[in-house]
Amino acid sequence: MRMTIAVAVLLALLPLGLPPYAMTLLTEALIMALFAMSLDLMVGYARLISFGHAAAYGLGAYTCGNILLHTDIPLPFAVLMAGVFSGVVAIGVAWVCTLATGVSFSMLTLAFGQLLYAVAFKWTSVTGASDGLAGIPRTKGPFGTAFFGTKTGFYYLTMACLFGSFLFARAVVRSPFGAVLRGIRENEAKTLSLGYNTRLYKIAVVAMSYMLGGLAGALYAPFAGFANTELLFWLLSGQVLIMVIVGGTGTLVGPILGAVFFLLVQQQLSTYTDSWALVFGAIFILFVLFVPDGIMGLARRRRAH
Amino acid sequence: MAGLSRRTILTAAAASPVVLRHARGETPIKIGMPVALTGPAGEIGTQMRHGAEFWAKETNAAGGILGRPIELIIQDTTGDPATCVRKAQDVVERDGCRLLFGMTLSSEALAVVPKLGEWNAIFMSSDNGDGRLTGSSFVPNFFRANISGPMETRVISLWLRQGKLGKFFALGMDYAWGHNSIGVFQDEVKRAGKTFVGDVYSPIGTKDFSTYITKIRQSGADGCFLVLQGDDNAAFLSQARDYRLQDKVQLITSIVDLNSIHAVGDAAIGLAGSTRYVATIDNPKNQAFVAAWQKQYNALPDVFEGEQYQACKMLQAGIEEAKSIDADKLRPALESAKIDSIKGPVAMRACDHQAVQGGYIVKVVKKDGAKFPVPEIVTTFPGDQVTPACRQMTFDS
Repeated sequence: MRMTIAVAVLLALLPLGLPPYAMTLLTEALIMALFAMSLDLMVGYARLISFGHAAAYGLGAYTCGNILLHTDIPLPFAVLMAGVFSGVVAIGVAWVCTLATGVSFSMLTLAFGQLLYAVAFKWTSVTGASDGLAGIPRTKGPFGTAFFGTKTGFYYLTMACLFGSFLFARAVVRSPFGAVLRGIRENEAKTLSLGYNTRLYKIAVVAMSYMLGGLAGALYAPFAGFANTELLFWLLSGQVLIMVIVGGTGTLVGPILGAVFFLLVQQQLSTYTDSWALVFGAIFILFVLFVPDGIMGLARRRRAH
Repeated sequence: MAGLSRRTILTAAAASPVVLRHARGETPIKIGMPVALTGPAGEIGTQMRHGAEFWAKETNAAGGILGRPIELIIQDTTGDPATCVRKAQDVVERDGCRLLFGMTLSSEALAVVPKLGEWNAIFMSSDNGDGRLTGSSFVPNFFRANISGPMETRVISLWLRQGKLGKFFALGMDYAWGHNSIGVFQDEVKRAGKTFVGDVYSPIGTKDFSTYITKIRQSGADGCFLVLQGDDNAAFLSQARDYRLQDKVQLITSIVDLNSIHAVGDAAIGLAGSTRYVATIDNPKNQAFVAAWQKQYNALPDVFEGEQYQACKMLQAGIEEAKSIDADKLRPALESAKIDSIKGPVAMRACDHQAVQGGYIVKVVKKDGAKFPVPEIVTTFPGDQVTPACRQMTFDS
């Protein structure tokens, strides 16, 4: 807890000394961090490996984009509504996907993600098809304040969403509910035989994961002022899974670090070469081979010494 | 991998003796250029880069603008609007650019323009076709030096009114420019008292056009309007030749460019359509430009190279008039900017920031001695006939 507060204070003080460009990068990193953390709920705690988590992100982004474009609902509320909407949709998705387990489950999540991608390409009136939604505004409010529309204000909103979600996710995984999830991860048959309806637990955790992932997407829409089908593409699903694995699964904090690491590497490398993904691929392979428990595992081992 | 990295260009600009000799100690005028250098629109983006680099070199050799050298900061957007927004944000916030070129696709431009106010940056478009940019999506910091989609479509429809074709089909790329141009075309065809039998849209990057060609043949049209560019255009033209589509249907394209002609060779013969720029325009300014261009690149300047050069000249005229690159001073200067361009007189319009200019109809013909078929100017229409009313995309007469 002390650590969390220290990091929160540090992040809250950063806008005082950073140039606008660094603020933009940092805000994007926090959004990605939230997205990666949301996936860790599924992957790290219930071993539900999703290849279609971009669906959550895209749903949140398009929902929030449409709310902001067509209504005067204050920015923070629009973001929250889009997150909740994404979570509600996930109940249906999870109901279907949890009919399968293991690789089949992963394939179903991928299929659903690509389905949404295809729908977004055709549903011009809602998604703008391949042109996307442009000019997504940062609406005023609540109480008429324009603060959340400013660079600093939006950063604080993102930070609040990340920390709120982190505390929520941590409470979930530390609760008896979280213990059942870990039971599913270790031995689903045994958990089932103990009398837990594991499928309901799985649906619940997928919904929570989508809700937080949707929240991240909902932040991205007004951050970039733009949303298009790329946000639903499998490439993003793959990237976020890499962030989770590089950061360390089942730790919540790890994926946050993984996302920040990923963005920093991308930002630095892409200045030098357009083939930055190649370098990141190599980093990923090294992690899987030598540090399978990710950045968090490295940190823990160091502390144990 | 196409294109120089940002660092290479910075180094090149810094090391150039020309810059040092003429503008020692002056801070450079930085112009950000997020442009599609790879992907389906990569060919167009590469042309835009060539055009801008040619102008920067020429201008720096003549002492820069206001005694300051020009520095281009070029970034690859891959033709994706989301990447384009990020790269534009990068050149503005990281590199401190307050002037922008590039944004190859209209969908990229539409994504970027809402941010111009916040960045206090001016964007001079050299190729964006979508009419909404000077219509419903107009922002004060956007200027369009090029012919827009509705304008090139208008040129075609004015020309078709004189012809005998009566039934039209349309094929366009499935994004902003394609939909916008075909919408205007449909409207124009009906106004001319002719028949519009249908339209179809191909996703960006389509390689197999056989189903589209079948649809065109089955439609019974005697003319087909094409809104394709880059690799898609070349793929369609060569496949249309294989299916002998040209024997039945007159193909009318919204942009006739050298790149497509060179890609498909004789398959382009007989193609007619509008063009935004062609090297054979007959005036001294253009002849000098073409000669200098040939000296540097050993090729004729293509459509988007000429258009980019014109856009650069327009921006330069504005900066020289305003004596500043500050958006608040540059905007009014650009609003009344008039240049004697390679296409003749071109004037920026204050009400919607669209440059008023004439349009060309060309036909691709085989010429003795030339390696490739060449576009020949058939007719030209003056700017007041082809430019829509302020912030409009359709025409009243």
